[in-house]
Amino acid sequence: MAVGDRTPRLADLGISSERVLMKHKPPGVFEREVAELEQRVMLTTLEKAVAWAQSKSMWPDTFGLACCAIEMMSTVTARYDLARFGMEAFRASPRQADLLIVSGRVAHKMSGPLRQIYDQMLEPKWVIAMGACASSGGMFNNYAVLQGVDRIVPVDMHVPGCPPRPEALLEGIVRLHEKVQAGVPPAYELRKVAT
Amino acid sequence: MTSAFAGLPGFVEEKEGHGETTVIVERERLLEAARQLRDAEGFNFLADVTSADYLGWGEKGVSGYWGNAGGRDTNSPGSWGFASVPEPKSRRFAVSYHLLALRSEPKRVRLQVWCEDGDPVPSVVPVWPTADWHEREVYDLMGIVFDGHPNLVRILMPEDWAGHPLRKDYPIGGEPVRFSDED
Amino acid sequence: MATTATSPSGTRSPFSTDLSSGRLLYEGSRIPQPIPTILLVPPELEETGDVLTVNFGPNHPSTHGVLRLVVSLDGETVVGLRAVIGYLHTGFEKNMEQKTYWKAITYPARMDYLNFQQNELCFVMAIEKLLGIEPPPKAVWMRTLLAELTRIHSHLVWLGTTGLELGAISIFWYAFRERDLVLDLFEMVTGVRMHTRYFQTGGLAEDIPLGFDAECRRFIDVMPKRVDEYEALFDNNVIFLERTRGVGLLSAEDAIALGQSGPMLRASGVNWDLRRNEPYLVYPELDFDVPVYPDGDVYARYKIHMDEIRQSSRIIRQCLDGMPEGPWILDDRKIVLPPRDELHTSMESLIHHFKLVTEGYRVPEGEVYVPIESARGELGCYLVSDGGPRPWRVHFRAPSLVALEATATCLQQSLIADLIAVAASLDPVMGDVDR
Repeated sequence: MAVGDRTPRLADLGISSERVLMKHKPPGVFEREVAELEQRVMLTTLEKAVAWAQSKSMWPDTFGLACCAIEMMSTVTARYDLARFGMEAFRASPRQADLLIVSGRVAHKMSGPLRQIYDQMLEPKWVIAMGACASSGGMFNNYAVLQGVDRIVPVDMHVPGCPPRPEALLEGIVRLHEKVQAGVPPAYELRKVAT
Repeated sequence: MTSAFAGLPGFVEEKEGHGETTVIVERERLLEAARQLRDAEGFNFLADVTSADYLGWGEKGVSGYWGNAGGRDTNSPGSWGFASVPEPKSRRFAVSYHLLALRSEPKRVRLQVWCEDGDPVPSVVPVWPTADWHEREVYDLMGIVFDGHPNLVRILMPEDWAGHPLRKDYPIGGEPVRFSDED
Repeated sequence: MATTATSPSGTRSPFSTDLSSGRLLYEGSRIPQPIPTILLVPPELEETGDVLTVNFGPNHPSTHGVLRLVVSLDGETVVGLRAVIGYLHTGFEKNMEQKTYWKAITYPARMDYLNFQQNELCFVMAIEKLLGIEPPPKAVWMRTLLAELTRIHSHLVWLGTTGLELGAISIFWYAFRERDLVLDLFEMVTGVRMHTRYFQTGGLAEDIPLGFDAECRRFIDVMPKRVDEYEALFDNNVIFLERTRGVGLLSAEDAIALGQSGPMLRASGVNWDLRRNEPYLVYPELDFDVPVYPDGDVYARYKIHMDEIRQSSRIIRQCLDGMPEGPWILDDRKIVLPPRDELHTSMESLIHHFKLVTEGYRVPEGEVYVPIESARGELGCYLVSDGGPRPWRVHFRAPSLVALEATATCLQQSLIADLIAVAASLDPVMGDVDR
């Protein structure tokens, strides 16, 4: 992320499309234009542009487990309207999703599929642990419930509540967007764990 | 009505409480009793098959005095003293079948069998097909084996789980609660 | 096969009832043998045919939660089916044994998380039956009202998610619009949208706030017209009718053999509703109809859900009209906390408060089974007490578990698209199934 002598290229920012990864090719039109814009205007950096794009259409994966899933569904409805964040497109396939909202208690039997879904998502990916059960096991401190999904996946944002109101989930989502736009890397990078 | 239940195969006892009738039969004659209840008495609807583990029933006084899950001796000095310790039970496990005669004059009865750890109980799936998953759940969580069940495998816990969680000697699990001034 | 089916020679099935409409949907019984809940691929098809085994779930876009279906397909036809559950097993029953009754009331709401207040109602009624107490009339009427509001809530979410699964996406927004109105009412009364924990042993936690009556009437005036809107979306929609009429047939005898209740049973033509046949709360004094349809298919279950919302609106209006004045909770200090202002002046109240909070009220020894009519069917609570402040054994008879047992029977000779429609019409809530 060097800003001094070399303008950062898209590949430095973790973008890994085929075009970007072809190292022998010079920067594309987008990169050149943004670099010129930076030199002229000196307002936005390339990283900020990428982070802005990532946060403005972060598509969640349909991972509703229990009661929190119902409140997650109601954030999509007209009153709370997740579509204004560009997030109403819940992808059924984890390959197409950016955000995993773990909503509900995770039984030990479900922890395997949860990790599988997380593994199938492509970087960059974020995880919101929605509700008390996903964050810490909630009121179920027993043999059956995983005491917090951060035991198996790296979590970016915990949203407390049982279940959290839709506004609370939206607060969590907005804070996640702010984190991304501030340049904080996703949790798997922060904790240096496998993705 | 009392005479109808007294004629059940393997009849042991009939109890009334809170407006409900509990009929206890010997577990060896359970299938015959179930068939007679279904065909002759008209209890065509099996609402529930459930089990209870009475290990430690009344041993340390009633459960949960002074916030202690193990209970406390009600006769020791300083105890509450008024509660009576419940009567000990004959065996460790009780399997209860909640039956309903689904007709214009409905009737409910609880059919109960008692068994020890390791005693197999005949499966009532040939009598009421809905018992399938109920008995699997009882087997999974309480460890009671049902003879003649077509598919007795774990249903709620993962297939490779060891132990039967709802038994009284199975720990609650989870993680210990840590307080902020501890390390 | 032990169950003698209704054969042309006229031998009565042991599962027949005089409450059934008597329409013959199919000959005999379609419950698979030898395992009633698993559809086994016929051996000749396994050897000669081209059978594909597909795994649905546990994470799949059907919002019915973490249900895993292992389906064997011959082309588009379902020839084998096995449901795997337990992905949401939370250990409710064991957890509740560790808590006093006061704390344990918090738990049942999270089981069937769509009609949460009825779970609490069932548990609280079981405790009260063991204690031998009757809550005051105002509490009983309010419980009835809230139970019916919860039923409306559950049916609305069912409608929205079923539409989503069948591809009729717009209904989701309409249904959840009304659901938000219901949750506003809950928030006004209890302070929370979901999992309200408003029922206490002996009555309600707090008095009904002023203004609830007006707000609730506004909602009730609007709700039946909204149901007409939903039906306008579906009733003449050719795709919906093709996908639901004649799909997922379940005869009355098979339904009773499989322990079905609630909309599943009433859609098969059996006039059985616990509110009418084994009444509790104030249902004996209320005037309402029980919708029964004899078709036994997915469309009948959908119609029953719609009619039940209308009937629930009727019941709520009667509850509002007939709501008595008076205390909202019993005055028995051995069970109910004394009012807080008394703690400053009365020593006995302070001691009662202390004992109730630290130790909890003691429930006499005994065992009870209390069934109620939840939105999904017969929800029962089996409670065993040893005389102490903690339950010895709590078990909930989950209507969703029993509904899922009927999957294999309903899906005989069906296409894979019907699988989605049938699974949606069974209305399983995985929290209830797995507990």
